[in-house]
Amino acid sequence: MTITLTQGILIAVWAMVAGLDCWLQAFYIFRPIIVCTITGLILGDLQLGVIAGGLTELAFAGLTPAGGTQPPNTVLCGIMTVVIAATNKTAPTTAIGLSLPFAMLMQYILLFYYSSFSLFMSKFDKYAEEGNARSFKRLNYIPLTIVVLSFGIVAFLSAYAAQAPMHQLVTSMPQWLTHGFELAGGILPAVGFAMLLKVMLKAQYFPYLLIGFVIASMIPFSNVLPVALIGVVFAMIEYYRSRKDAKVEAKMKELETKGDDMEDGI
Amino acid sequence: MTWKMVSKVEDVKSDKKDTKKKSLFTKHEISMLGIRSNLVQASFSYERMHAPGWTWAQLPFWEKIYKDDKQGLKDVMTDNMEFINSSPPLYPILMGLLLTMEEDHVDRTTIKGLKNALFGPMAGIGDAIFWFTIMPITGGIAASIAKNGNVLGPLLFFAVYVFLFWSRIPLAHLGYNLGTRAIDVIEDNSKIISHVASILGLTVIGGLIASYVKMSLVIKVGTGSGAISLQKQLLDKIFPNLLPFAFVFFLYWLLRKKVSPIWLIVLTFVLAILMSAIGWM
Repeated sequence: MTITLTQGILIAVWAMVAGLDCWLQAFYIFRPIIVCTITGLILGDLQLGVIAGGLTELAFAGLTPAGGTQPPNTVLCGIMTVVIAATNKTAPTTAIGLSLPFAMLMQYILLFYYSSFSLFMSKFDKYAEEGNARSFKRLNYIPLTIVVLSFGIVAFLSAYAAQAPMHQLVTSMPQWLTHGFELAGGILPAVGFAMLLKVMLKAQYFPYLLIGFVIASMIPFSNVLPVALIGVVFAMIEYYRSRKDAKVEAKMKELETKGDDMEDGI
Repeated sequence: MTWKMVSKVEDVKSDKKDTKKKSLFTKHEISMLGIRSNLVQASFSYERMHAPGWTWAQLPFWEKIYKDDKQGLKDVMTDNMEFINSSPPLYPILMGLLLTMEEDHVDRTTIKGLKNALFGPMAGIGDAIFWFTIMPITGGIAASIAKNGNVLGPLLFFAVYVFLFWSRIPLAHLGYNLGTRAIDVIEDNSKIISHVASILGLTVIGGLIASYVKMSLVIKVGTGSGAISLQKQLLDKIFPNLLPFAFVFFLYWLLRKKVSPIWLIVLTFVLAILMSAIGWM
């Protein structure tokens, strides 16, 4: 299929909505699972959107903007995965790999804004010093507008304008390359998990990582809920133990200070 | 957590006991504060992070407090334009807390010191809970449903996050009603909460590595009927999912060596395409 102009415009509008949410992080509709589903709806293939959404969400599981990093953009990745899969009849896993350059393009645009929006700060400072609330509020709409329009333009150009060269590229790809992209889509979650581990893993937490891994390897089950529940069990045990420890510690401190007083007395 | 401002904060607390609190804001207005807390990232930049959005979100409330005090409004706006970075979903509780203090006209340096002491640790807790625990669990479960084409997957995901969106309202009320007592609640619980959130998060990540990183060799070693599948007859016999686990830790090691995440993605693609080209995977 090809993307009609109407569909292209609808995708651009959806990209602006999801892009605004991506910037503010309010409803989390910028995550691939939602972006893909709505894009599928726009292209008239909800089923494809939902499946692609599940797969892309997994690929992006650990790629979060926490800890000051900006991952490849989920809005563009979600939209382009469904667009590429629908227009070229490729498997969604292969499409994830092919959509990544678009996601990285948006990532770098946002990184550019993170730096260049510093230019607005002196204006903000001026309005603050003057106590000019009205102008201060209005100034906030400028960065927001720039971001929202960028999402719309990039999504429209990627999904609508670039579809012919994209189709040519995808159809001319040899089988081993397509399969390679498919494999990469399956391995990609590893990057996100490694990033999560870099932030969270301390030696004392390694046993929990290991037991989660062992349980999921041994229990054949279609989602991570059993593992999550076992995690909750550990968390609860540790919660009550830590609270008890904190109380004991407080008591010890009390006794210590009392001991000091007595020594002084002698 | 070291508490530089302890003595000052204690002063504030004892002051408050004497004066009976008159609330300037209606319940509805405090709910709106919770909703407006979504604006913190509106003008995000590396230089000040959340400062302009943080100020924007609270500006209508300050305008009410400092209605007849132009200098007061100038001061509060200028002070809040300083660098701020914390966890966005926890801002409602912080805004509620600081609004009480602003309303009681607590000394400016005390408020500033409190912000510096509180925001950093809150960022750590927020990230551990929202990005590293709720996100992988919700995303993991919703995706495993959606993968089979069931629209319940995205719906479930959306429902969880709409719930979290509305939870900003009770959080704002909590911060506002507790006032400076919220500091004690946060101080007492922050360490334990981030500790148990890490435990839950890492157990889930362990499970996610096993379930969602797909690496499996198709190559056979040996010739004719004696050929054995490297994956099924060797690696799986040692432990299932051995390759995904090892690869994640290889990437983790690279990250510790300060390799950028972008290079890890490039490496993943190069490896996958290479493996496909030589027919190993």
